[in-house]
Parts: sequence; structure tokens; C-alpha cells
Amino acid sequence: MTELLAEAVDLRLGYGNQVAVAASRFTIPHRAVTAIIGPNGSGKSTVLNAVGGVLEPLAGRLTVLGGSPRVRPPKVSYVMQSLAFPAGTPITVREAVGMGLYPKLGWFGRPSADDRARVERAMERLGVTDLADRHLDELSGGQRQRVYVAQGMTQDHEALLLDEPLTGLDITSARVIDQIIHTERERGHAVVLTTHDLDEARAADWVVLMAGRCVAAGPPAEVLTREHLADAYGLGSLHAHAAEPEVLDDPHKPGVPGHDHSRHQHPH
Amino acid sequence: MDWWIEPFLLGFQQRALIGGLVAAVMCAVVGVWLVLRGMSFFGDAFVHGVLPGIAAAVIFGFNPYLGAAVAALFMVGGIELIHRQTALKEDTAIGLLFVGMMALGVTIISRSNAYTGSLTSILFGDIFGVTDELITTMVVMGAVVIAAAVVLFRPLLALSFSATKAQSLGMRPRFAHAALLVLIATAVIASFQAVGTLLVFGLLVGPPAAASLLSRTVPRMFVWSVALGALSVWLGLTLSYHLQTAGAATIALVAVALFFALLALTRGVSAVRRRRVVAA
Repeated sequence: MTELLAEAVDLRLGYGNQVAVAASRFTIPHRAVTAIIGPNGSGKSTVLNAVGGVLEPLAGRLTVLGGSPRVRPPKVSYVMQSLAFPAGTPITVREAVGMGLYPKLGWFGRPSADDRARVERAMERLGVTDLADRHLDELSGGQRQRVYVAQGMTQDHEALLLDEPLTGLDITSARVIDQIIHTERERGHAVVLTTHDLDEARAADWVVLMAGRCVAAGPPAEVLTREHLADAYGLGSLHAHAAEPEVLDDPHKPGVPGHDHSRHQHPH
Repeated sequence: MDWWIEPFLLGFQQRALIGGLVAAVMCAVVGVWLVLRGMSFFGDAFVHGVLPGIAAAVIFGFNPYLGAAVAALFMVGGIELIHRQTALKEDTAIGLLFVGMMALGVTIISRSNAYTGSLTSILFGDIFGVTDELITTMVVMGAVVIAAAVVLFRPLLALSFSATKAQSLGMRPRFAHAALLVLIATAVIASFQAVGTLLVFGLLVGPPAAASLLSRTVPRMFVWSVALGALSVWLGLTLSYHLQTAGAATIALVAVALFFALLALTRGVSAVRRRRVVAA
């Protein structure tokens, strides 16, 4: 049986009285790349928030790594979008990356030499060492996204959650982050990302298709079908893909998590 | 030299300086988070919002700290109620409570025989009336505020990104936000007798805003904020002595003037550097 990162049973999600995701049932495999895809407002980020333990379900059950996602310390590293940053807060790249140590250190713990080395390694991997003393608000969106991923890498984790990590990035940043996604998977970690890009979803091991509820979840070949996409997006938006639903190398490839991930493309 | 020493020769002048410095340090520390989290309007409303509690304490003769604390709780509860029960944005809720509480405070004081005197004293403080007992109370409350601000450093820094980020890092954003409100309330309540509810806002916002112009990190912003707050009090009292102006108002004026002076200075330095780079 495939090892699971997350399992949702009759899961309902929302904010206050507003339901964002109607009762849904899906799984997300561990040690694989999962793309959550769907139109704007379909509940992609909401599902990511719930898996990341920052949103309590309205109803139903959600287990992450076999327990409640709200239980600390989290083994799930949540990377936010580059658009969100504390404008005006004088915080350097090194400090921002070091915040990934907070779940381990808590409110008072002092970082050890190993912890500091971990921060430096994460900055190196994301190519932001040269920016270490720069302020967050002095960076481009792509550089900031790399900093946030480095922060996520600094956190002790088994799963990396990325909210639209490649949207609107420069090519260098997109390549670096794409490489990180590959490496994380090779290390046996789970990567869950939200995306608007069907090509990115096709390159993943597993896809969760959202449209205010989970339309389908499974390998890309089984999820990104004309019928499911029509259900999620409506027919009008599907012409290009409906004409040639290039999904689908081999739905039965032994692939989760062994699916060939070499097609994972950079954004355009 | 006498020009600098003379304003602090007498006991009440020295107590004014000490009381002002304690208020400045407290407000400078709390004010850093107020400014970084974009809560200046809330802070402004808050310092007015405690007015009815203090006014009721003056009229009915109970502890003004208690009155201010109850008014602060009422204000925060009211903002939260509007925020949860309506689709209105938070600034509207703050504005409603701001004017409502201010009006309630003035209405209560208007029943006092010494209406003008009481109102002036609450709004603008009486820095030269600071007693040893008040200084002791302020020092204790100041120590609590500074200790709490240190303890809350990581949660509040994470919260300056977003509540979601803070939650994902296990930093308990709701608790941290509530604790920050308590810290703001404590700083205001501890300082209002010395510098008044109106002018305490000058110390809450002026030094931290000026410090942000000079700081590359948040810890340095704390250091600059405290230094500029202390400078505002000392220079404000000195000027008020020589110019025969109101003490607390002069302090607040200096705090704001320092911001503009540093803004001009930092922008001037940047312009010169840019010119040198272009010339090279």
C-alpha cells in the first residue's frame, strides 16, 4: 500500500461561515510530487493551508503523516507566495531564512552551530547566499520566492508545501526551485504544490483537481482527462487541451512515487 | 553648559525626566511592533479609547489604571465584534470605537466640576506632577512590557509576515496578537499620567518610525527607537524649560520633528551617494 502524506475523508474547508471546499475525499502520497490544480477560487490554497496545519477543517477528517496537521512540532514545511512579504520590516535574507528554525527552537531556544550551518546550506542551495544581508523588500519576486523556499528547507520537514511556487518567476529562480522540487522527491520527501499550469500538473506524480470540491485525485493520466477538466473548468476554457488531451503517457506506469519525473518543465 | 543642566536641578524636574524616560522606553519598545504591523491607527484610537475609563475613575474616585484597563478591554472587544459580525474593514471598526469612546470620555468628564482641568490633565498629562510612587509603578510596568516584548520577539516577527506564516512556524499568532494588544494597553496606561493619553501616541509612533529610517534589522530598530525616545524626552524637557512651553507637548513635538530631521538626513545622504556612484 502506498505510503500517504495526507488522507481526507468528507473534508469540508472554509473561512468563518464561508465554505471554500465542499465535502471531499482524496489522498496525497508521501515521497512524491503532488500538484493541486484548479481555477481561481477553486480551493487549491485552502487545501494546502489545511494540509499545512494552518486551517482547521469545518468538518470531516484530515490526517497528515498519520496524525492531525494541527499537532506540533510540524514536519510539514509551508512556503508562502513571494507576493506576501512584510513591507517596511527591516529583515535581512539571512534572518528570514533562519525563521525556518523557529518550529525547532520555539520562542526562546538559541540556534546551535549546526542550526546556523543549516541556514547557510539552505541559502547556498537556493542561490541566495550573495543576498544574505539584503532586505526582503530589496529583492525581486523571484529572489524572494527563493528565500522563502530556503526558509522552508531550513525547517526540519518531511513534506514541502509550495503555494504557486513558479508563478511569474524569472527563469533563474524557476529553474532553481524546480531543481529543489526534484531533489526533495529524490530525498524521499513529499512535495505538494498548487498551480494553474496544466503542464506542471502533468509533470507531477499525483494530481488533485479542485473546483470548490475535489473533482478527482490520482495520477495525472487518470485525473487530467477531458471529462474531469470540463467539470472543473467548464468547456470553454478547455479547447486547446480537449482537442488534444496530451495527458497521458501510461496511466499504469508504476509511478507513485516511481513515476518518471523528468518531464517536470520550467515555466515559460 | 548651564543651559543643559538648569532644566533638571529641582526634584520635580528630575522626576519629570525619569518618568518621561521610563514612558519613552516602554513606548519605544511597544511602538516598534505597532509600526511594523501597520497598527498605528489602532494605536491612535487606543490611546483615545481609554479616555472614558480614566474619566470615570476621576469622577467616581477609583483607580485610573483599572478604569483605563476596562476601557481598553471594551474597545478591543468592540472592534472584534464589528469585525466578526459585519463585512466592514477593521479600520472602520477602529474609527467607530475611536470616536465613540472619545465622545463618551468627554461626556463623562463634562459632568465634573473641574471639566477643563480634568480633560486637559488626562489628554496632555502632567509631567511635572510625576511622583516617586508613580515612577515606581511605571518602572514595574515598564519592566513587564520590556520582558514581554523580548519574549514575544519571534512570534511577532513571524506575525509581521502573516498570521498563516506564523501559524505554520508554530508561533501561535492569535496569542501573540492578543499579547501585543495587552502590551500596548500597558504602555498607554502606565504612561498617560506623565505624558497624557493624547501625547503618549507621539512616543509610541515617533521614535519607532524614525528608528526604521536608520535600521537594517529589527533588533537595531529597538535600540534606535529607545535612544530616540529618550532623546525626545530629554530634549523636549530642556526646550520646554527654556521656551516656557508645555512639557509633554514639547516632548511629542520633538519626537515627530526628529523623524522629519532624520528623513531629510537619510534622503540627503542617499542622494549624495547616488551622485558619487554616477560620477565614478
